[in-house]
Amino acid sequence: MRDSVVRVSGLVGTLLYAAAIVWMYSAQPQTVAEVTGGLTSTIGVYRIDQQAFDDGLGFFKRDRFDEARAAFARADPAGRDSLTQFYIAYSYYRQGWGRLYNDDALFKQGLEAADRAIAVAPEHRLVVDDVDLGMRTADELRAELQRGLTRDASDFNPLRLLRKRR
Amino acid sequence: MTPLRESFALPCLFLTVALLGGLRLGVPGVDVRLVPPPLVSLVLAVLLLGSLVRSRVFAPDRLVANHRPPLENVSGCVVLLTLFAASAQTFNLLTPDSGLLHVLVSVFFLVQLLTTLTAVRERAGMLRSLAVLMGCAFFLRFVALESLYDPGRGVLKRVITALMEGVTLGALDYAPTGSATGYVAFLALTLYLIGLLLLPSGVTRARNVSLVRIGEPPEPDELDRDLAALRRQ
Repeated sequence: MRDSVVRVSGLVGTLLYAAAIVWMYSAQPQTVAEVTGGLTSTIGVYRIDQQAFDDGLGFFKRDRFDEARAAFARADPAGRDSLTQFYIAYSYYRQGWGRLYNDDALFKQGLEAADRAIAVAPEHRLVVDDVDLGMRTADELRAELQRGLTRDASDFNPLRLLRKRR
Repeated sequence: MTPLRESFALPCLFLTVALLGGLRLGVPGVDVRLVPPPLVSLVLAVLLLGSLVRSRVFAPDRLVANHRPPLENVSGCVVLLTLFAASAQTFNLLTPDSGLLHVLVSVFFLVQLLTTLTAVRERAGMLRSLAVLMGCAFFLRFVALESLYDPGRGVLKRVITALMEGVTLGALDYAPTGSATGYVAFLALTLYLIGLLLLPSGVTRARNVSLVRIGEPPEPDELDRDLAALRRQ
């Protein structure tokens, strides 16, 4: 009886350990924070630094995007929180947006952050309840960033000058 | 073998080796990189397992057999799988990740393992041979090559590497893995060799065969050897 208990618990432990290793090799985390964050989020105990997030949100609302991203990165070092990643993507969008042209480098980074937000959101769906935002879903934001990076005839439409940042 | 060793110690050791085998720390640009085993590492792992079985470093029939209950067989299968994963990752660790050196070291391992597979039949000899083989490969990669291709190397080393790359038309290139990776590799290799020592070997079992063989009396020297072994136990 005791042997069976030892063997079963050994099997369970081994399976969990093997699953963690397979996850690490498939997710390819690049920092120690991403490794620990990924593992803790897998078992549902990952928490962001709320104070840093609030600081980032404050900077974001005052259009100080570099400071906002620094605070958001501190709040979510593993990149496993969809809301924080959404705001990071939004900060790239707002900073890179231009009436005549967009900053492609910033938009690309924004697109990557939006992809991360969608990837880690529950069921890949994220709706943000923030009245200050022109786009409240990650899908809208991703599509807007994608449009900003695409070159087509509408780029030469003079009415573009009248559009507003969302 | 105790259930604790079979269910906890060996899988845990081999899985840790499997994890550490692909770990590269301090690579320029990223903190952590995990390299999955290339196909050649899997082939080398199969050859190594064959060599280990032939030299009785471990006996698969003591892990998976008809007379064992299903739970014990599952436990034995897990040990075999983790041993295979650890072996593949050990070769992944000792082989440079790309370039001509990757091919050369892989071919070296292949030839060496084929030789071992056909020649070495003794447990202690196999373990010694494996320790020397892996020790040499470790030294070559994490001491010699890392020192030669260190980003902060001196003029003489730069000249030597430039000459080597020139002679081989740029094929002999090596990407340093970062200083911390060597320590991780040393730990992984040590754990792997400890794991091999802990595996259920075929030596004791083979000695006992002569005592229970039915209808065929054992040779006198065989009996003496068995009795001496029993006295030692």
